[in-house]
Amino acid sequence: MAETEARKSMIKIKPKKYKTGDIVKVDFIVIHPMDTGMKKDKKTGEIKPAHYIDNITFSFDGKPFTTMKVWETVSTNPYFSVNFKVPGKGKITVDYTDNTGEKNSKSKKLKPKD
Amino acid sequence: MKRRSFMKSMMAASAVAAAPMALMAKEDAPKAKKKGPNDMTYDAAVAAITGGKEVKDSDKIKLTVPEIAENGAVVPVKVEVDHPMEENNYVKAIHILNTKNGNARCVDVMLTPANAKGYFATRVKLGGTQEVVGLVELSDGTFIKAAKSIKVTIGGCG
Repeated sequence: MAETEARKSMIKIKPKKYKTGDIVKVDFIVIHPMDTGMKKDKKTGEIKPAHYIDNITFSFDGKPFTTMKVWETVSTNPYFSVNFKVPGKGKITVDYTDNTGEKNSKSKKLKPKD
Repeated sequence: MKRRSFMKSMMAASAVAAAPMALMAKEDAPKAKKKGPNDMTYDAAVAAITGGKEVKDSDKIKLTVPEIAENGAVVPVKVEVDHPMEENNYVKAIHILNTKNGNARCVDVMLTPANAKGYFATRVKLGGTQEVVGLVELSDGTFIKAAKSIKVTIGGCG
Protein backbone atom coordinates (compact mmCIF):
# COMPACT_ATOMS: atom_id res chain seq x y z
CA MET A 1 0.00 0.00 0.00
CA ALA A 2 2.64 2.47 0.99
CA GLU A 3 5.34 1.48 -1.44
CA THR A 4 4.95 4.70 -3.35
CA GLU A 5 5.09 6.78 -0.21
CA ALA A 6 8.70 7.70 0.37
CA ARG A 7 9.66 7.96 4.01
CA LYS A 8 11.95 10.65 5.23
CA SER A 9 15.15 9.15 6.49
CA MET A 10 18.64 10.30 7.17
CA ILE A 11 22.11 8.86 7.63
CA LYS A 12 24.53 10.87 9.74
CA ILE A 13 28.24 10.22 10.00
CA LYS A 14 29.91 11.50 13.16
CA PRO A 15 32.37 13.19 13.33
CA LYS A 16 32.03 15.09 10.06
CA LYS A 17 35.73 14.90 9.19
CA TYR A 18 37.30 11.45 9.17
CA LYS A 19 40.14 9.51 7.56
CA THR A 20 40.46 5.97 6.24
CA GLY A 21 40.79 3.66 9.23
CA ASP A 22 38.92 5.95 11.60
CA ILE A 23 36.03 4.61 13.64
CA VAL A 24 32.93 6.70 12.98
CA LYS A 25 29.38 6.62 14.31
CA VAL A 26 26.77 5.81 11.68
CA ASP A 27 23.38 7.14 12.79
CA PHE A 28 20.26 6.18 10.91
CA ILE A 29 17.07 8.13 11.59
CA VAL A 30 13.71 7.44 9.94
CA ILE A 31 10.32 9.09 10.25
CA HIS A 32 8.03 6.15 11.02
CA PRO A 33 4.94 5.84 13.27
CA MET A 34 6.04 2.54 14.91
CA ASP A 35 2.45 1.75 15.97
CA THR A 36 2.24 -0.99 18.57
CA GLY A 37 -1.22 -2.18 17.64
CA MET A 38 -2.52 -1.18 21.07
CA LYS A 39 -3.11 2.55 20.80
CA LYS A 40 -6.45 4.06 19.83
CA ASP A 41 -6.77 6.57 17.05
CA LYS A 42 -7.97 9.74 18.75
CA LYS A 43 -10.16 10.77 15.80
CA THR A 44 -11.94 7.53 14.96
CA GLY A 45 -11.68 5.72 18.31
CA GLU A 46 -10.52 2.54 16.60
CA ILE A 47 -7.39 0.68 17.52
CA LYS A 48 -4.60 1.40 15.07
CA PRO A 49 -3.10 -1.74 13.55
CA ALA A 50 0.52 -2.53 14.32
CA HIS A 51 2.92 -0.86 11.94
CA TYR A 52 6.60 -1.01 12.76
CA ILE A 53 9.98 -1.50 11.13
CA ASP A 54 11.11 -5.11 11.50
CA ASN A 55 14.36 -5.49 9.59
CA ILE A 56 17.26 -3.17 8.95
CA THR A 57 20.46 -3.90 7.05
CA PHE A 58 23.47 -1.60 7.01
CA SER A 59 25.80 -2.32 4.10
CA PHE A 60 28.97 -0.83 2.67
CA ASP A 61 29.37 -1.16 -1.10
CA GLY A 62 26.82 -3.98 -1.13
CA LYS A 63 28.39 -5.95 1.72
CA PRO A 64 26.19 -6.03 4.81
CA PHE A 65 28.02 -5.27 8.05
CA THR A 66 25.18 -4.94 10.53
CA THR A 67 21.70 -6.41 10.50
CA MET A 68 18.95 -5.68 12.99
CA LYS A 69 15.69 -7.23 13.96
CA VAL A 70 13.35 -4.63 15.40
CA TRP A 71 10.08 -4.90 17.32
CA GLU A 72 7.32 -2.42 18.05
CA THR A 73 8.83 -1.58 21.45
CA VAL A 74 11.21 0.85 19.71
CA SER A 75 10.16 4.51 19.83
CA THR A 76 8.34 6.49 17.17
CA ASN A 77 10.70 8.01 14.59
CA PRO A 78 13.46 5.66 15.69
CA TYR A 79 17.16 6.16 15.50
CA PHE A 80 19.80 3.45 15.37
CA SER A 81 23.44 4.13 15.92
CA VAL A 82 26.39 1.78 15.28
CA ASN A 83 30.12 2.15 14.92
CA PHE A 84 31.93 1.53 11.65
CA LYS A 85 35.59 1.48 10.67
CA VAL A 86 36.04 3.44 7.43
CA PRO A 87 37.74 1.14 4.92
CA GLY A 88 38.02 3.82 2.22
CA LYS A 89 35.80 5.55 -0.27
CA GLY A 90 32.44 3.96 -0.84
CA LYS A 91 28.74 4.11 -0.12
CA ILE A 92 26.80 3.20 3.00
CA THR A 93 23.32 1.89 2.26
CA VAL A 94 20.60 1.22 4.81
CA ASP A 95 17.74 -1.01 3.67
CA TYR A 96 14.71 -1.37 5.87
CA THR A 97 11.41 -3.19 5.69
CA ASP A 98 8.37 -2.97 7.91
CA ASN A 99 5.67 -5.44 8.88
CA THR A 100 3.30 -4.24 6.17
CA GLY A 101 5.86 -5.14 3.51
CA GLU A 102 7.01 -1.62 2.86
CA LYS A 103 10.58 -1.50 1.55
CA ASN A 104 12.87 1.49 1.48
CA SER A 105 16.54 2.31 1.35
CA LYS A 106 18.80 5.26 1.93
CA SER A 107 22.41 5.79 0.90
CA LYS A 108 25.22 8.09 1.80
CA LYS A 109 28.70 8.36 0.27
CA LEU A 110 31.71 7.99 2.49
CA LYS A 111 34.42 10.45 1.59
CA PRO A 112 37.39 10.06 3.89
CA LYS A 113 39.81 12.98 3.86
CA ASP A 114 43.35 11.67 3.74
CA MET B 1 -40.50 -4.68 63.19
CA LYS B 2 -40.86 -2.74 60.03
CA ARG B 3 -37.56 -1.08 60.51
CA ARG B 4 -35.81 -4.39 61.17
CA SER B 5 -37.19 -6.04 58.06
CA PHE B 6 -36.33 -2.99 56.05
CA MET B 7 -32.72 -3.11 57.28
CA LYS B 8 -32.54 -6.82 56.50
CA SER B 9 -33.81 -6.34 53.00
CA MET B 10 -31.36 -3.51 52.46
CA MET B 11 -28.49 -5.67 53.67
CA ALA B 12 -29.48 -8.45 51.31
CA ALA B 13 -29.88 -6.06 48.40
CA SER B 14 -26.47 -4.51 48.95
CA ALA B 15 -24.87 -7.93 49.23
CA VAL B 16 -26.49 -8.97 45.97
CA ALA B 17 -25.43 -5.73 44.36
CA ALA B 18 -21.86 -6.03 45.61
CA ALA B 19 -21.34 -9.61 44.44
CA PRO B 20 -21.72 -8.99 40.71
CA MET B 21 -19.60 -5.85 41.04
CA ALA B 22 -16.73 -7.90 42.40
CA LEU B 23 -17.19 -10.50 39.69
CA MET B 24 -17.26 -7.86 36.98
CA ALA B 25 -14.09 -6.27 38.29
CA LYS B 26 -12.38 -9.65 38.13
CA GLU B 27 -13.58 -10.26 34.60
CA ASP B 28 -12.50 -6.81 33.52
CA ALA B 29 -8.96 -7.17 34.75
CA PRO B 30 -7.67 -9.50 32.02
CA LYS B 31 -9.58 -7.56 29.37
CA ALA B 32 -7.93 -4.30 30.44
CA LYS B 33 -4.49 -5.78 29.75
CA LYS B 34 -4.02 -5.07 26.08
CA LYS B 35 -2.38 -7.62 23.90
CA GLY B 36 0.19 -6.65 21.34
CA PRO B 37 0.91 -8.51 18.13
CA ASN B 38 4.16 -10.14 19.32
CA ASP B 39 3.75 -10.50 23.04
CA MET B 40 6.53 -12.42 24.72
CA THR B 41 7.64 -12.54 28.33
CA TYR B 42 11.17 -11.68 29.36
CA ASP B 43 12.06 -15.24 30.34
CA ALA B 44 10.74 -16.62 27.06
CA ALA B 45 12.68 -14.03 25.09
CA VAL B 46 15.92 -14.84 26.89
CA ALA B 47 15.34 -18.55 26.34
CA ALA B 48 14.66 -17.96 22.63
CA ILE B 49 17.87 -15.97 22.22
CA THR B 50 20.24 -18.07 24.29
CA GLY B 51 18.72 -21.48 23.66
CA GLY B 52 18.94 -22.31 27.36
CA LYS B 53 22.62 -21.39 27.75
CA GLU B 54 23.91 -19.76 30.91
CA VAL B 55 23.93 -15.97 31.00
CA LYS B 56 26.50 -14.30 33.23
CA ASP B 57 26.32 -10.81 34.65
CA SER B 58 29.30 -8.87 33.43
CA ASP B 59 30.82 -5.46 34.02
CA LYS B 60 32.23 -5.49 30.48
CA ILE B 61 28.91 -4.10 29.28
CA LYS B 62 28.31 -0.42 29.86
CA LEU B 63 24.58 0.24 29.71
CA THR B 64 23.73 3.93 29.62
CA VAL B 65 20.10 4.71 30.46
CA PRO B 66 18.42 7.52 32.39
CA GLU B 67 17.56 6.73 36.03
CA ILE B 68 14.19 8.44 35.73
CA ALA B 69 12.39 8.66 32.39
CA GLU B 70 9.73 11.34 32.39
CA ASN B 71 8.30 10.10 29.12
CA GLY B 72 8.17 6.35 28.68
CA ALA B 73 7.66 6.68 24.93
CA VAL B 74 11.22 7.86 24.33
CA VAL B 75 13.87 6.30 26.53
CA PRO B 76 17.41 6.50 25.15
CA VAL B 77 19.43 3.30 25.58
CA LYS B 78 23.13 2.99 24.82
CA VAL B 79 25.14 -0.22 25.03
CA GLU B 80 28.92 -0.32 24.88
CA VAL B 81 30.81 -3.61 25.15
CA ASP B 82 34.43 -3.60 26.18
CA HIS B 83 35.51 -6.51 23.98
CA PRO B 84 37.91 -6.76 21.02
CA MET B 85 36.45 -6.84 17.51
CA GLU B 86 38.90 -9.14 15.74
CA GLU B 87 38.36 -11.71 13.01
CA ASN B 88 37.62 -14.62 15.35
CA ASN B 89 36.89 -12.84 18.59
CA TYR B 90 34.17 -10.25 18.38
CA VAL B 91 30.79 -9.17 19.70
CA LYS B 92 28.33 -11.13 17.63
CA ALA B 93 25.04 -9.65 18.77
CA ILE B 94 23.57 -7.09 21.12
CA HIS B 95 20.00 -7.68 22.26
CA ILE B 96 18.06 -4.99 24.08
CA LEU B 97 15.30 -6.38 26.28
CA ASN B 98 12.89 -5.08 28.88
CA THR B 99 11.33 -6.96 31.77
CA LYS B 100 7.70 -5.80 31.90
CA ASN B 101 6.48 -4.64 28.48
CA GLY B 102 4.05 -6.89 26.61
CA ASN B 103 6.81 -7.71 24.18
CA ALA B 104 10.07 -8.05 26.06
CA ARG B 105 12.19 -7.74 22.94
CA CYS B 106 13.25 -4.35 21.59
CA VAL B 107 16.09 -4.80 19.11
CA ASP B 108 18.48 -7.58 18.11
CA VAL B 109 21.63 -6.21 16.50
CA MET B 110 23.97 -8.56 14.65
CA LEU B 111 27.43 -7.05 14.46
CA THR B 112 30.51 -8.01 12.45
CA PRO B 113 34.22 -7.17 12.93
CA ALA B 114 33.74 -4.31 10.42
CA ASN B 115 31.94 -2.36 13.16
CA ALA B 116 35.24 -2.10 15.07
CA LYS B 117 33.45 -1.47 18.38
CA GLY B 118 30.66 -3.17 20.26
CA TYR B 119 28.41 -0.15 20.37
CA PHE B 120 24.72 0.38 19.76
CA ALA B 121 22.29 3.15 20.65
CA THR B 122 18.57 3.61 20.12
CA ARG B 123 15.40 4.82 21.83
CA VAL B 124 12.74 2.48 23.21
CA LYS B 125 9.23 2.65 24.66
CA LEU B 126 8.65 1.50 28.24
CA GLY B 127 5.20 0.84 29.66
CA GLY B 128 6.19 1.42 33.27
CA THR B 129 8.96 1.28 35.83
CA GLN B 130 11.09 -1.71 34.98
CA GLU B 131 14.54 -2.96 34.02
CA VAL B 132 16.27 -2.65 30.69
CA VAL B 133 18.64 -5.50 29.90
CA GLY B 134 21.54 -5.53 27.48
CA LEU B 135 22.20 -9.15 26.49
CA VAL B 136 25.39 -9.66 24.51
CA GLU B 137 26.44 -12.70 22.54
CA LEU B 138 30.16 -13.14 21.91
CA SER B 139 31.57 -14.99 18.92
CA ASP B 140 32.64 -17.94 21.09
CA GLY B 141 29.00 -18.60 21.95
CA THR B 142 28.95 -17.22 25.49
CA PHE B 143 26.33 -14.79 26.72
CA ILE B 144 26.81 -11.90 29.09
CA LYS B 145 24.32 -9.32 30.31
CA ALA B 146 23.87 -6.11 32.23
CA ALA B 147 20.64 -4.69 33.60
CA LYS B 148 19.57 -1.32 34.91
CA SER B 149 16.25 -0.26 36.34
CA ILE B 150 14.46 2.81 35.04
CA LYS B 151 11.74 4.70 36.87
CA VAL B 152 9.11 5.67 34.34
CA THR B 153 6.76 8.52 35.26
CA ILE B 154 4.41 8.27 32.27
CA GLY B 155 4.19 4.95 30.44
CA GLY B 156 4.63 5.00 26.71
CA CYS B 157 3.21 1.74 25.48
CA GLY B 158 -0.30 2.73 24.54
